[in-house]
Amino acid sequence: MANVFSKSSSLLRKFLAVSLLAVLLMIIDSFTPWLKPAYSAVDNFVRPLYWIANIPLRVQEWSANSVTPRSEIESDNLRLTKESLIYHGQLQRMSDLAAENMRLRRLLNATELVQDSVLVTEVIGVSATPLRHTLTIDRGTADGVFVGQPLLDAEGLMGQIIGVHKHHSTALLITDSSHALPVQVLRNGLRSIAEGSADYNRLNLKFVSPTADIREGDKLVSSGLGGLYPAGYPVGTVLSIVSKPGDNFLEVDIDPSAEIDRSRHLLLLYTSRDNTADAVE
Amino acid sequence: MQSDNRGIAVCLTLILAVVLTLMPLSGDWIVWKPNFLLLVVMAWVLGWPNGVGIFFAASVGLLADLLLRMSPGHSMIVFALCAGALLLVSRWAKYLSMLQRTLLMALIITLVAVLEASIFIVYGLPSGIEHLPMKILLSIMVWPLIDLSIARLQPNRG
Repeated sequence: MANVFSKSSSLLRKFLAVSLLAVLLMIIDSFTPWLKPAYSAVDNFVRPLYWIANIPLRVQEWSANSVTPRSEIESDNLRLTKESLIYHGQLQRMSDLAAENMRLRRLLNATELVQDSVLVTEVIGVSATPLRHTLTIDRGTADGVFVGQPLLDAEGLMGQIIGVHKHHSTALLITDSSHALPVQVLRNGLRSIAEGSADYNRLNLKFVSPTADIREGDKLVSSGLGGLYPAGYPVGTVLSIVSKPGDNFLEVDIDPSAEIDRSRHLLLLYTSRDNTADAVE
Repeated sequence: MQSDNRGIAVCLTLILAVVLTLMPLSGDWIVWKPNFLLLVVMAWVLGWPNGVGIFFAASVGLLADLLLRMSPGHSMIVFALCAGALLLVSRWAKYLSMLQRTLLMALIITLVAVLEASIFIVYGLPSGIEHLPMKILLSIMVWPLIDLSIARLQPNRG
């Protein structure tokens, strides 16, 4: 019996030592950047493991592609050719509109629109915890990726880069609960802040007055305020608006435009302000 | 397996747990994914109490924190607490049947899930408390597989 008590006393001492160390680490992490090399080392160590972890997904994609009938591939090809033609037509009109816009901005003595270019990247890992919405992508400093760089998918804004290594980077998604993004309503320019909700399919709008002109179905785009995200990229659509008696602000839920938890191929955005636009296309 | 090879077995099972932790899942599955690192550590603590202890569990907890980009220390405390609790009962745990061991783990997993959710609530983070029952259920379902696999790696199985 005495042995049991001495064992539990030894365990308690060890547990107290570990708890003390853990609290110390939490304090160090909160107030200093000293642990960043540790995060970086773990990221580099687990990079090959991401490749292994993605094998089932790759096998699934490969098998899905292998068993697709020829007729389906042909019809897909035909549809994509048509879509390409339509987009090329629209692009011609866009370049005309962009030139006209530039002329008008010059007349108004406004700053010129920045030219954006993109770099295609692939997701090699996703956050293993639902509390942190992050992605790991296969581009790093070797490709000119930098902290704060915006990330898009084909439908809209996905997030920003928060950690860069030589050949891979980590991005924080706009749905992460610690993320906030300045937006505006496309219809009338009403500005607000879209905050992550820790749900991949929802954002929340902050500080929207009960008298604000906002409706369900309104499209939201990045406003460009804050200088991190360029203006005009799709962010989401207003899903629901709830006004509670006594509350100072409306509760507005947004459906993100980007396919946050599904997109595999993404775009890293460079603007002419980043001095790296010539590196990519 | 020889006793001196158990260190290698521990490393390999931990790497497998990290791979399973990193495996991308979509939809609700990501919220329901069991904490494989914790389950593997618990299985080793039960199976080899003299070889792995609180410091080992705390180190894996720290790795989990860095891996999941959480504030280092959270999982460290949780892993160490679970290991300490299991080490206290490890003398009797080897006489428990698989069902009894699974029930013991169910209790620990539930306590860990509630503890983590409480920490997140304190920090003002979304706790995902509505997903806890499913996460606990899936963890309990995979536990016998992990426990049996790690038991097979032990020498002198009686």
